[in-house]
Amino acid sequence: MDITGGLHVRGLNVTAGEPPAAVAIASGITFDVRPGEAIAIVGESGSGKSLTAKAVLDLLPGNLRAGGEIVYGDHDLGQLPARERRRLLGRELALVMQDPFTMLNPVERVGAQITEPLEDEHGRRLDRARRRQEAEQRLREVGITDPAVVERYPFELSGGMRQRVGIACAIAQRPHLLIADEPTTALDVTTPHEILELLGGLRRTRDMALVLITHDLRVAFSVCDRVYVMYAGSVVEAAPAGELSAAPRHPYSLGLLLADPPVDRRVERLVGILGSVPVPGGRPTGCPFAPRCTFAQPACVSALPELVEIAPGHATRCRRIDEIGDELARRRREQAASAVIAPADVAPAPLVAASGVRKVFAARGRHGLPTVALDGVDVHVGEGESVGLVGESGSGKTTLGRIFVGLEHASAGSVAIDGVEVAGRRLTRADREAVRRTVQMAFQDPYSSLNPARTVGATIAEAVRLAGNDADLERKVTALLERVGLPAHYARRRPAELSGGERQRVAIARSLARGPRLVVCDEVVSALDVSVQAQILNLLRDLREELGLAYLFITHDLAVVRQVTDRVYVLCRGEVVEEGPTARVLDDPLHEYTQRLVASVPGATEPVPLLEDLGLT
Amino acid sequence: MSTDITAVAVPVPMDRRRRWLWPADVPVSVLIAGMVLVVMAACALLPGLVAPQDPALINPTESLLRPGGAHLLGTDQLGRDVLSRVVHGAGTALSGPLIIATATIVLSLALSLVAGYFGGWVDAIVGRGVDLLYSLPPLIVAMVLVGVFGGGYWLAIGVLIVLNIPQNVRIMRAAVIERRGLPYIEAAETLGVSPLRIMVGHLLPNIAPVVAACFFLRFTYGIVDLSSLSFLGLGVPPGSSDWGRMLAENRVQIFENAWASIAPGVALVLTAVSANFVGDWLYEHFERKGRTR
Repeated sequence: MDITGGLHVRGLNVTAGEPPAAVAIASGITFDVRPGEAIAIVGESGSGKSLTAKAVLDLLPGNLRAGGEIVYGDHDLGQLPARERRRLLGRELALVMQDPFTMLNPVERVGAQITEPLEDEHGRRLDRARRRQEAEQRLREVGITDPAVVERYPFELSGGMRQRVGIACAIAQRPHLLIADEPTTALDVTTPHEILELLGGLRRTRDMALVLITHDLRVAFSVCDRVYVMYAGSVVEAAPAGELSAAPRHPYSLGLLLADPPVDRRVERLVGILGSVPVPGGRPTGCPFAPRCTFAQPACVSALPELVEIAPGHATRCRRIDEIGDELARRRREQAASAVIAPADVAPAPLVAASGVRKVFAARGRHGLPTVALDGVDVHVGEGESVGLVGESGSGKTTLGRIFVGLEHASAGSVAIDGVEVAGRRLTRADREAVRRTVQMAFQDPYSSLNPARTVGATIAEAVRLAGNDADLERKVTALLERVGLPAHYARRRPAELSGGERQRVAIARSLARGPRLVVCDEVVSALDVSVQAQILNLLRDLREELGLAYLFITHDLAVVRQVTDRVYVLCRGEVVEEGPTARVLDDPLHEYTQRLVASVPGATEPVPLLEDLGLT
Repeated sequence: MSTDITAVAVPVPMDRRRRWLWPADVPVSVLIAGMVLVVMAACALLPGLVAPQDPALINPTESLLRPGGAHLLGTDQLGRDVLSRVVHGAGTALSGPLIIATATIVLSLALSLVAGYFGGWVDAIVGRGVDLLYSLPPLIVAMVLVGVFGGGYWLAIGVLIVLNIPQNVRIMRAAVIERRGLPYIEAAETLGVSPLRIMVGHLLPNIAPVVAACFFLRFTYGIVDLSSLSFLGLGVPPGSSDWGRMLAENRVQIFENAWASIAPGVALVLTAVSANFVGDWLYEHFERKGRTR
């Protein structure tokens, strides 16, 4: 097969359902990957990026149909019989999936999974010794040097190791094109960097083309030559990575860039994008981004603009780009150069304090060992102070937050909530009430933190009633909704009718209903799209200013921590390894673990390239 | 740079409320099953209006007539009108299972909520108790007890209520536990919502589809269980127009008037199958509606 041509996708459509009522998921997708090239398809959830990749591989779920032209090498994949097309999978085109916890078979050893498809020159299965040897070699290629891993089961490996094994499986048959669908999203803070380096390295050494599907522009810029930005089922901009970063030529691309909180400094205000991504079937006619676009004109709504090449290799779907191009570039420059805001330097009276807190979870099963989640942790949050709690999963950061709100109880040590000691004794009803009035929690997953059977109004009203004031319930619910930026009529809606960002606003309103002085925010923005994340972060900053709230901000995202906290604790395996003002800890980390965390943020060390650097002005 | 962001209202389809009341996508099978149940319920509530004759009217001169004429389904050995007896039989056929299903579900639900929500030793006690009950076969225990202590209809119902608890507790407790650890329950706890309110106000609405499914399943089994008992001559007193009993009494004359035993049998099967159809569809419908994404 001649693969010199690479992969060319022309006018790819993905639709759900049968023709009269078919809903377009992706339409008119066009992209090219040349051999050895790395491209990224970037978009928020619901943009259709993953299904585009699945359509290329012929892995669409049964109720979806693909149309359009997919040319690989000298084959039109759409014309190929299903059997032949399937033969290409693994040999020519391979896929790395997002979730390293489910993509490997839990009851098969790693070695067996890697060597499964391998055959010798005569098309026969390899013998035992050859399989073992091949498996070890494949693992070495993905950076696993310990040959014993061949004999392990997936559950014995960490997430990062599993993702490496997943990649080893994908490239076992030396494919010429690797599609990686959010390969780093499910991984812990320090591992994505390594996986991205691995993918970048493989691409160079194997001369393998790489299609990276991601929601994170920083990830895309760190690995890829060219970036396709997708929005609501169409490609809105395609550009070389550097050019896109320096001078985006579509308002949506600019919005994504501006919404991404910078990791290296604190900006006065993040710029979110108004509203949220439309769902397939509810997409507007005309330019899909028009309803959220600050540059939109009536003409934008009438028809979908064409993808027009405005410079070699740089295309945009914005019909006003000639008029607004300079303005987009100016805004991007402005943000890149925006002033550093120094956090307030205060030493307020402590509101909650944990000292020497230990938390041990009982052993599971007869042979399990007890898990030490927290081991002698000292953390305190002052009145009106915003404190970050940073660490990887398993570091105990969520456990500590749950101890503060009373969902867990410390095994040893002291936890004082506004002067009330809550550890190691039975609490009276009055104590519990005092804790609830002081500390409330906002949860990570906006999809499960609201009771699906209740309306938003009922959820908030219940919280208001518990605060002890039944009078004027409706007005108070409305006031809370408005405080978090939602219109009053949202009280009648159920969670299923809200977007992720709106749900998170409701969850925040609920936590405010009891008038707490500290809100424990457990990864409140990590499940949200970047444009919505910026809105929520701004909201949290506003609330703090208006209500004098203190935050304990639990997160793994250093850029987020930089934007909203004054002080930060770094947790590693249940111990605080470093603490200090956020700017100092992130700019000048002292502990080796913090240094690893900081170094692992993709693109952290590279400043935003300016147009001058690219010689484009 | 400081344009503030307020959420933009997303239009909600206006027919959502209406569709909840009369869902447009009811399959034909469910529609028919529903109508069967409505007819049966009408027979049970107002048998006098539907039935052409008194079901207990004995007329030896007209015994074992074939269908036709004044007797649409013929008569039995004592000359009683089969159709009237089937219509009147709907009452006991539906009320018994209804009582069993309601009582079993209420008891099981209470146990499941308490065991699933509190966990620990409460769960352990409920769990072992349920295991113990599980080891007893409901129908056989009911037969033995009713046989030994005499034909008590209510004793049979009581036994079936208690012995049907285990299956339901297993299903509903699992549903409670599945939701118990979700953030919205934890959020309610941190706000200070009382355990009772969490169980009734937060957990119960979310396991409602499961409860509905269990209810209809129990109802179906109740029909079959009670009819089996009366077929064996246990439970309802002799002479009453119960479907199971009619099957037993008339099967001897199957060659004279087959309809006397076929009709109650068909009525039984129709009711049980219809209840199953409706229950299954309700479960699916609410389950889809309750899903958050």
